[in-house]
Amino acid sequence: MSEGAIDINAIERELRQMWQEQAAHPDAGGQAVIRALTLNLIVRAPDDDWAEQALAVAPALTAQHPNRTVIVIDRPGPATELQANAQALCTLANAGRTQVCGEQVTISARGAPAGQLASLVLPLLVPDLPVVLWAPGPQPFAQPLVQRLYRLCDRLIVDSTTFADPLRELAELAVFEQTANGAPAVSDLGWTRLTPWRELTAQFFDTRPFLPHLHRIDEIVIEYAAGNRPNPVAALLFVGWLASCLKWTPLEDAVGIEGETIQIYLRRPAVGVGPAAIRLVSVAIRPVDLAGVEGLARLVLRAVDNQQAEFVVELTSDAGHACTRATIAGAHPIERTATIDRPALADLLNSELRLLSRDRTFAAALNLAGGLARRLALP
Amino acid sequence: MLGIQRQVNLPALNTILLSFPCNLGVLCGKKQARSEHMATPVLDNPLRAGLRIGRTPEPCTMVIFGASGDLTSRKLVPALYNLARERRLPGGFSVVGFARRDWSDDYFRDLLREAVNANSRSGPVDPELWASFAQGIQYHRGSFDEADAYTSLAARLAAIDAERGTSGNRVFYLATPPEAYPTIVAQLGAHGLAHSNGWTRIIIEKPFGHDLASAQALNTEVLSVFREDQVYRIDHYLGKETVQNILIFRFANGIFEPIWNRSHIDHVQITVAETIGVEDRGGYYDTSGALRDMIQNHLMQLLCLVAMEPPSLYDADAVRDEKVKVLRAVRRLSVNDTVRGQYGPGSANGLPVRGYREEKGVSPTSQTETYVALKLFIDNWRWAGVPFYLRSGKRLPRRVSEIAIQFKAAPTMIFADTPLNDLDPNVLAIKIQPDEGISLKFSSKTPGQSQIRPVTMDFRYGASFGVTSPEAYERLLLDCMLGDGTLFTRRDEVETSWALLTPILQAWAEGPPQPFPNYEAGSWGPAAADEFIARDGRSWRRL
Repeated sequence: MSEGAIDINAIERELRQMWQEQAAHPDAGGQAVIRALTLNLIVRAPDDDWAEQALAVAPALTAQHPNRTVIVIDRPGPATELQANAQALCTLANAGRTQVCGEQVTISARGAPAGQLASLVLPLLVPDLPVVLWAPGPQPFAQPLVQRLYRLCDRLIVDSTTFADPLRELAELAVFEQTANGAPAVSDLGWTRLTPWRELTAQFFDTRPFLPHLHRIDEIVIEYAAGNRPNPVAALLFVGWLASCLKWTPLEDAVGIEGETIQIYLRRPAVGVGPAAIRLVSVAIRPVDLAGVEGLARLVLRAVDNQQAEFVVELTSDAGHACTRATIAGAHPIERTATIDRPALADLLNSELRLLSRDRTFAAALNLAGGLARRLALP
Repeated sequence: MLGIQRQVNLPALNTILLSFPCNLGVLCGKKQARSEHMATPVLDNPLRAGLRIGRTPEPCTMVIFGASGDLTSRKLVPALYNLARERRLPGGFSVVGFARRDWSDDYFRDLLREAVNANSRSGPVDPELWASFAQGIQYHRGSFDEADAYTSLAARLAAIDAERGTSGNRVFYLATPPEAYPTIVAQLGAHGLAHSNGWTRIIIEKPFGHDLASAQALNTEVLSVFREDQVYRIDHYLGKETVQNILIFRFANGIFEPIWNRSHIDHVQITVAETIGVEDRGGYYDTSGALRDMIQNHLMQLLCLVAMEPPSLYDADAVRDEKVKVLRAVRRLSVNDTVRGQYGPGSANGLPVRGYREEKGVSPTSQTETYVALKLFIDNWRWAGVPFYLRSGKRLPRRVSEIAIQFKAAPTMIFADTPLNDLDPNVLAIKIQPDEGISLKFSSKTPGQSQIRPVTMDFRYGASFGVTSPEAYERLLLDCMLGDGTLFTRRDEVETSWALLTPILQAWAEGPPQPFPNYEAGSWGPAAADEFIARDGRSWRRL
């Protein structure tokens, strides 16, 4: 082929041939091979490391969502370089079960204009299947390839834990999500990581006698593990979630950073008083030093007025478990241990791929958290 | 919110009175008392809104009667542990095992830990998680008929409520032999355990009665203590993902319902085949048989799901109303619509196996059937004239459960070389186990020659969704704790099903003895079953 050009038909031909060979010579296990594609996944990898990570999670993604993955390694560079190769990827389910197979195409590029890359990616998409674009790394919205492709996608997945300038990028993410309004739907793997924390928090208030306390929370403390780069996005999203579910509104200008602690005040409806009455919820978000942990580490919801009530979720000394504790004044504290695995990248992606439409809970939480981040990021 | 409408067995007059504005002392008191006891599945937790966060029930205590039994260690506790592992159970969730043996709490916990290690789909327990889960497990020693044991049970439950925040929410699980059901239910009632300041529910295992009269008697006894909306009669078939998928398949797709009727369907076959014999249940099975053990519950449930009309909404009573309508429309069965069999010696998996009459606990002259085939008609506008063939047996060559919808053949054949009767009709097969999935058979041209061959288009759960499905018991236990009865059988379903089959049981009992055994273990049932369906010009599907 001529320099710089890639023959798309050759890639398709190659894939077709692989399937035909598979059908003609079933592998040694004598198992049938089934091509069952359920979606197109485009990965925009900023460097070789991310491309390797994408390749590494592919088998786990194929097992749950057989797909055609197109990995574009979109490296900057002065000279233009382009290469493509294809492979079929099969995962063996339990012995005796059918193999599930997906397809992978890798396009390795350096310094290629976004238009040229898009012209390679688009004809490779399998028709009539959803398209998901995963753009890991910092500044996803500044990438020309993302800007070119996102309108064609059903879902755009970013990861706020990889943001370089977390507060500013969180604010951008919120604006993007609101503007996109579901086209495409937006996912943040940082939000996905919060699911167990949200579950354990919500479960406290499935207990009928505890539910009233949820409406009279006065204080929230969130501690997150900070490595060398503190990233409070998860904590802000968590606050955004609580606030949007409970109809709390941020108090203008009552957002600030004192040392390393982020201090926020929100207005909540008062309980049992006239409708005009409001009360304040104070939120403190602070980094803690914890080896081997990322994301949230400890969470306290406290009601102090009238009757003391405290709800705590915290990681135990061995990661992988969390202890939850509900303490109401005058009653026996209720404690238990729950699993809270550090999720693998593949699990996070799989749970996003399962969704088909806009996650409105996330949208509301993000909108609120984005507003807080914008104020915090102001000089 | 569904409270009063859920009261299926409440007389109409009573319902009207209860919905009057509350201005009379007596009525008010009654209304309040009732609504306190009402199962209110919806707790208005604002954090529950939105995607992803699975439903979790309110903290509750599950009391398992027959806790020393097989079901507890093989199914129930592993299911509960897996629910806890997936954060589907709230903090404070507790288990009280009730049985006769003299065990301590610690011994019981150790035993359950072993059981979970051996039987859980997630493998051996996670020690930290188990330690927290086991804190909520207690053992309560007592005989089912011993009043004191219930007095102390009530005290123990009250203590758990105070200590673990279960606020009076209880599930009683009857995992005992069926003879003990009435005793336990009566004792629970006598000790005021049927109602609490939270919700109280009772799960009853199969068999629910052994004929119409006994099922009615049991229902009367249970319902003299509990309200129908507290009673969860379990049929673990309904907890299987593929069984639930029947409704999704039918009512979430637009292309099947228009042809799902007598104009397009020739007949339906429902098969539940087992390779195992009676194992160590010989004593029980010999008093029961295939009709009671499989047809009355599992196959009738499958029949309902395949044949029911679309419910107006997916809600416990709307779904079960439609299922009962199917059973009520089934034409009265006669003995001539049935074939029974009993396996003799033969082989399974290449090894010789005993005949039924040689099994442990079985009478050497037993007349109990281990195989049943029957044909029934549903006399309504959708199904009039379409035969439904049901068969189920033990020691058949393959373990397979499936529903096959056979469509009518093409009305005329334009392909000259291919006589019409040589063509396979279209078959839609819903496979329930072991390879869950759906397949559609249609005719296609063979490459090169002008021949027509049947081919199948397969959808397999395992291929499209790589995730392992939860066990049926996990789903059902969770549903019960959440107050969702959709996948449990209601009183009228049980009784209507028994009403259909009891005349057959009577006729069999009164009829002449059968030349049993009449099929070899490891074969597809008696020859009479093949002749039975051949008489209609049809044949059983080769599975």
